[in-house]
Amino acid sequence: MSTEYDPTVGQTEELVIEAREAQRDRRPGRIRKIGGHLRQEWQLYVMLIPTVVWLVVFLYKPMYGLQIAFKDYSIFRGVADSPWIGFEHFQTLFGSDQFLRALKNTVIISFYSLLFGFPMPILLALMFNEILNQTFRKTAQTIVYLPHFISSVIIAGIVITAFSPSAGIVNTILGWFGMDSIYFLTRPEWFRPIFVGTGIWQEAGFQSIVYLAAIAGVSPTLYESAVVDGASRWQMVWKITVPSIMPTIIIMLIIRIGNILEVSFEMIILLYQPATYQTADVVNTYIYRQGLQGGQYDFAAAAGLFNAVVAFVLVMTANTISRRYSRTSLW
Amino acid sequence: MANMNLYSRGDRLFVIVNMVLIALFTISTLYPFIYIASMSMSTGFEARAGNVILTPVGFTLEAYRQVLSEPLFWSSYMNTFIYTIGGTLMSLAFIIPGAYALSKPQLYGRRFWNLVVAFTMWFNAGLIPFFLNMRDLGLLDSYFGIMIGFAVNGFNIILLRNFFESIPRSFEEAARMDGANEFQVLWKVYVPLSKPAIATVALFCIVSRWNGFFWAMVLLQDEDKIPLQVYLRKVIVELSDDEEFATSLLASAYSVETVTAAIIVCSIIPILLIYPFLQKYFSKGILLGGVKE
Amino acid sequence: MTEVRLEGIVKAYGAVQVVHGIDLEVREREFVVLVGPSGCGKSTTLRMIAGLEEISDGALTIDGRHMNRVAPKDRDVAMVFQNYALYPHLNVAENIAFGLRIRKEPKDRIAASVKEVGGILGLTDYLERRPADLSGGQRQRVAMGRAIVRRPKVFLFDEPLSNLDAKLRTQMRAEIKRLHKRLGATSIYVTHDQVEAMTLADRIVVMHDGRIEQIGSPMELFLNPANTFVASFLGSPPMNMVKARIVAGDRGPVAEFGGQKVPLAPLASLTNAVGRDVILGIRPEFVTVAHEDAPGRVGVDVDLVETLGSEALIHATLRGEPFVIRTDTVGQKLLDGISGFTIEPHLVRVFDAETGKALPGQVLEQ
Repeated sequence: MSTEYDPTVGQTEELVIEAREAQRDRRPGRIRKIGGHLRQEWQLYVMLIPTVVWLVVFLYKPMYGLQIAFKDYSIFRGVADSPWIGFEHFQTLFGSDQFLRALKNTVIISFYSLLFGFPMPILLALMFNEILNQTFRKTAQTIVYLPHFISSVIIAGIVITAFSPSAGIVNTILGWFGMDSIYFLTRPEWFRPIFVGTGIWQEAGFQSIVYLAAIAGVSPTLYESAVVDGASRWQMVWKITVPSIMPTIIIMLIIRIGNILEVSFEMIILLYQPATYQTADVVNTYIYRQGLQGGQYDFAAAAGLFNAVVAFVLVMTANTISRRYSRTSLW
Repeated sequence: MANMNLYSRGDRLFVIVNMVLIALFTISTLYPFIYIASMSMSTGFEARAGNVILTPVGFTLEAYRQVLSEPLFWSSYMNTFIYTIGGTLMSLAFIIPGAYALSKPQLYGRRFWNLVVAFTMWFNAGLIPFFLNMRDLGLLDSYFGIMIGFAVNGFNIILLRNFFESIPRSFEEAARMDGANEFQVLWKVYVPLSKPAIATVALFCIVSRWNGFFWAMVLLQDEDKIPLQVYLRKVIVELSDDEEFATSLLASAYSVETVTAAIIVCSIIPILLIYPFLQKYFSKGILLGGVKE
Repeated sequence: MTEVRLEGIVKAYGAVQVVHGIDLEVREREFVVLVGPSGCGKSTTLRMIAGLEEISDGALTIDGRHMNRVAPKDRDVAMVFQNYALYPHLNVAENIAFGLRIRKEPKDRIAASVKEVGGILGLTDYLERRPADLSGGQRQRVAMGRAIVRRPKVFLFDEPLSNLDAKLRTQMRAEIKRLHKRLGATSIYVTHDQVEAMTLADRIVVMHDGRIEQIGSPMELFLNPANTFVASFLGSPPMNMVKARIVAGDRGPVAEFGGQKVPLAPLASLTNAVGRDVILGIRPEFVTVAHEDAPGRVGVDVDLVETLGSEALIHATLRGEPFVIRTDTVGQKLLDGISGFTIEPHLVRVFDAETGKALPGQVLEQ
């Protein structure tokens, strides 16, 4: 039993771990060993190959295809043989009012979603945590998580029906107050509020899960000692719960900011119409219209490349910051 | 925490106000579903007049009769099942072995392979190159194309890989000493041990397959192959703009609104049926995937 | 006939060696225990024998067959893991049968083997249960059953008892011993617990920093530790170590420290070592307690007396170092007045102060 008190134990363990790290980095006689390794572990590579091949064929090959952003792409010549034209598409792009409008709309819609949508799940989580009746709490959670699992087409269908000028409940209510009915979905000034509100309605409940998990990690003794000290529930929320989940809140915020170019364009495609383009059209819907509907593949790919590069830089920056902040990355 | 009587008056007020607010939010989440269900069972006339508030007005199932008598509804429903089941199985066939291999420290270039997966989560070529690639591969208008084209996703691989990594190595070693090869270790040890994680990934796949519409809309021209969501979109977007269709319905027992609502109800039902499982695994899965790299 | 032979076995991770050339022969039906502090390389050595770690250098043979490059499954060895590695989705019978199923043995033979092993381990009533519904001791038995059922040439145990509480550990220790007697299988057992090593082993291999310090039967190692590491590792409480210098006395060599003297055995190696710095190894149970007036007494400052029933531990200080004496309580009237001890010269073990090795010629028979 004497070994249990051996002070060198931890050190030796570390030494072994270090040694393993060292092996990974140096790999002496690596080539010589690979043959034997493959003979022993070939099954592992057989398992890996389908996934890697899939990634190459379906995700990396399109990255190679991105070069059409710099080409005069013709379907008949294909990606590789179409002639290079340099930055022409990008020049057109940044001279295009429509593209600049889409870029502006993307940022504005994202900003509103962040401003109104980010605090909601935090509030919900704090409020759920204060509910004492477990049955009530479970039932409420079950209901507010549900919209997350409903497809955007259905959500759009519900929105269109509810906001319809004659049949919709919203206009019926306006009618009770003697107001004229509004055809909301044709009015540019209403698009953003409806879109952002729908997003919050659909996702706030589900996003609260992350914060609820963080709250669950707070030690109950903190609350017990606060009760003994005479703190009110309101004080405990602000003095214990909120500070405890602050790291989670900050990480989520960083990530949300990193994803500012990510607007759920599927929903926009379903809800917008030419009448609302001026406030509703975002980069991805613009690409969809120009490329997939209009057939200007090269030009749309240029817009996509610009979008992807900016998004990549933002996401990587956010990831680095959150990694530094928490020392555990969320990817 | 349990006994309300121990609370001060201020605390009791706080708890009650909080409860009321949560109740309001919950009701506002639930209401649109009730509204749509009621709409689907109201007459077209009452629906168009905006008289449906909470319960069906002039109860009729005419809208459902219309929906269910449409062959395209059935074929698209069937197609959605094919895409969902086939696509999910295909996803698992790629993801499970892939994640297993990536979880093994003895894999050469493990860091590199993991980066190959993670990079696809950060950088995306975008709509156009993906579409052109699918076209070049001859996967337009193809059941197989829809199923294979979205089989793998980085998040699911990493989620499952993290779970595999958390399994103590001695399980694998014991099986190895018993004579199991890599496939047997995966199939007889890791898969049974990872049921919750695999269920989570499977449910992620099922939901995204069931709900997916954008790429199905873009990649499928042939009406016989479209899934339910694309059909639903056609009805919602195209019919509601179609004045002729709308006026032809004026006098009838159903309207664009009630038909739309009926399709929505029909397509939500399967999600509601698996919702208990979703709830059980999703919250775990979200946290599982979020832990590291 | 030799079952398992290790010759110059080395394990290196890149440039860092963690096992430095182990030589060991485990004979047929022998129960050998590798013991040492965590990180001493004992588990790594066991895992190399199992085939779970690659052997960096040296040769491993089992039954005369070279095994370095043979896959674990083909070495005809079975291993019991520290955490048992029982499959939670399989019941006890299926867990035990797992290896046989993988090897595609006929179903009726598997059933018969599982039944037999279940009987041997007293698991017959639990065969349908899942591991989650078993107690710690039962899980441990299932883990052993999984090894036994394959009738391997060699059993490997990797700290199999360390997850059990103290009482169960004692009980399972006895069971492992009984099982080994009954099956007579060659066994290699790794533990950091010297009590397990002492009670289970035919031979103990004490390891430290990737090297073998000493090999021998438990009593050999207890009575004649080759160096200070082995001396302080085996025995509870451990051997007391006292720094001293050998001087010439009237009737042979004497160890002197801080003005006190302890006569040593009149061995040539000790006589020749007059003037050398040594470390005296004094087992707590080899001394006789002495009161103020006893002749030849070595004085200590008693800090505390722990009475454990039939015996007592006297915690004292000698030259600033802790010194423990173990004594019977029966027949000892006055434990309070104790202020020192006497010891027979041949019971004092003398180690070189520089190398820590026992001076040659000192042999204590049981």
